[in-house]
Amino acid sequence: MRFRAKILDVGCLNSFTRVVNTISKLTKTCTLRLTADNLYFMLSDKVANGGVSMWCELDQGNFFDEFQMEGVASDANEIYLELVPENLSRALRTAQNAKSLKAKLTKKHCPCLTLAAELPSLSSVSRVVTHDIPVDVIPRKLWHDFREPTVPDFDVSIYLPPLKTMKNVIDRMKNLSNFLVLEANRSGQMNLKIETDLVSVSTHFRDLGNPPCDGGSQGASQDLETMAQARVDIKKLQQFLSSQQVNPSKAMCNIVDKKMVHFVWLHENASLQYFIPAMA
Amino acid sequence: MKCVIEGSNVKVFGKAIHALSRISDEMWLDPLEKGLAVRSVGPAHSSYGCFLFTRLFFQLYSLNISSPQAALGRCKLPVKSVLPLFRCSASIERSVDSCKISTGLSDTQVTFQLFCKHGITKTYNLGFQEHDVLQAVFPAHLCPNVLKAQPSLLGDMVIHFPASQEEVTLSVCPKRVTMRNYCEERDQIKVMSTEMSLHPEEFDYFHVGVDSDITFCLKELRGLLSFAESHGLPVYVHFGHPGQPVRFSVENMVLEASVVLATQTDSESEVSVQPGGSEDPAAPSRPQDAPPTAPPEEQVPSSQGSPVLSRPGNLEYFGLHVATDSGAHAAEPESADPATFRLHSLLFGAVSSPWPNEGDVLHTSLACASDTEEDNMEERSSATPMPIY
Repeated sequence: MRFRAKILDVGCLNSFTRVVNTISKLTKTCTLRLTADNLYFMLSDKVANGGVSMWCELDQGNFFDEFQMEGVASDANEIYLELVPENLSRALRTAQNAKSLKAKLTKKHCPCLTLAAELPSLSSVSRVVTHDIPVDVIPRKLWHDFREPTVPDFDVSIYLPPLKTMKNVIDRMKNLSNFLVLEANRSGQMNLKIETDLVSVSTHFRDLGNPPCDGGSQGASQDLETMAQARVDIKKLQQFLSSQQVNPSKAMCNIVDKKMVHFVWLHENASLQYFIPAMA
Repeated sequence: MKCVIEGSNVKVFGKAIHALSRISDEMWLDPLEKGLAVRSVGPAHSSYGCFLFTRLFFQLYSLNISSPQAALGRCKLPVKSVLPLFRCSASIERSVDSCKISTGLSDTQVTFQLFCKHGITKTYNLGFQEHDVLQAVFPAHLCPNVLKAQPSLLGDMVIHFPASQEEVTLSVCPKRVTMRNYCEERDQIKVMSTEMSLHPEEFDYFHVGVDSDITFCLKELRGLLSFAESHGLPVYVHFGHPGQPVRFSVENMVLEASVVLATQTDSESEVSVQPGGSEDPAAPSRPQDAPPTAPPEEQVPSSQGSPVLSRPGNLEYFGLHVATDSGAHAAEPESADPATFRLHSLLFGAVSSPWPNEGDVLHTSLACASDTEEDNMEERSSATPMPIY
């Protein structure tokens, strides 16, 4: 099992760092999957995560100038590592002006992902910062836990309002209730609603637009005005919205009525999917 | 004692207090003939910080030697009572014209007055405890390794370590300078390790007599580094073998500041200070051998001086060189037990005897004073503690 990669372009380094920062805000630990062409940051929907799951996919060619990988076996040319994304984020944070960043899989006192950044210096010899990030290698027999989640047959797919606005609303709603109902229809309308014994609050968004519908099989028969809704844990929603540092180029959500909300972010060179289950 | 700090120096004073607050919760105000020393000693006696503001720093500096309150060197204050006065340096810059510090008006209080714009005067009467002043002894001229670095260089080194990182190991050899995070063996398994290295060329001055890896507490140093960066002052680093303390210092025309930190010794390293004398050329020499004109800037003798006794060592950190005055035999610092891995303390002289002639102190001892009246010069043997308001 081998892995070596290098980033030489500062813009790519900054982009990669932003993706890693987002992941680090979403979860304490996650699984990094390396294939010949892609990197994936994954979180599977275990009870420990409160049922949320995450799938972030990056095309390695968009970030790395060199990328060499040898998986566990020739018929399974992939590597699965469990790591703490905050460590990765911390290592990248102070390397933003690096001349080059090298990453490789090493064995120190335990398996590590070693990042070495070459930094500009006042002398002819560069400064070097090396970070050894401990990782756990996930054995092949557990790989099936980390399959790409199938995009469910959703009832409604809608573009989201500006994240900042949505986040502001939800931040305030969080103080009043633990659960929030997110509902939307195919006419570009979305409502965020909370209801407690004392108060109910709802925020309405209009003219959001719906992505062209190719997945939802109920599409044709469904009334445009019918709302699909899901009642979700407000903290999970808030955590997800706070993790974004930069506005994604496309942000949408798919709702499976009373089952789950599926967020899809399309970012510079990376896509992020986040699933929040509905609560009864 | 009465002194007035004017204009932008108030902010400098405030920053010094911030830096010292990283070392300990308590500080001493120690008025000397040549200026005001503000000191702080870390909780395990493994760290020491001192800012000496010379007379030039003040618009007015007057010391009333004959006052019955002359024992005012022993002015120990909780840092948290002084820090709020200087908390926000931006607002100090905007609104404070000058700051006056006076002692002696009361047995129990130091008065800080901030004269602000629009005719506002803020007066703070801070209660202090009479307490022996501790001061670390550090014979910098005996250190085999001396570095001088621009503050931004050191800042660039430490930035890679998170604020929560307690200890780091600094390794020097003629070709490379490396800093890495340190963690106890048992923690090592799942901790991310970070190492930063650069070439000695980047230092303004780089003299390494002995290749050495010293491990010390980074947290306590950050205050001085940030002070140095905000004033653009180069930082001098004096150190030797692992186990010997390391000193970081800055100076300019009006102030000198230093932080002395204990370093870890390990079971394999030769410990330089042995009872009965040392064979290690790098070891601090005994007082009789010490050059009579120890440069005074290496440590600031306290306003009172008398013989020092070594601290009985239950403390874990390594002892610095101890000296007594007038050729009295130096109490031997505790030697490290090579068989065990442990840290050792800075040895301090406590200062509390009546006001001597300061000049004598400079010539005869590298360290200053302790209680001659008592054998036990533990901190706990302070005079009646004063109530703090």
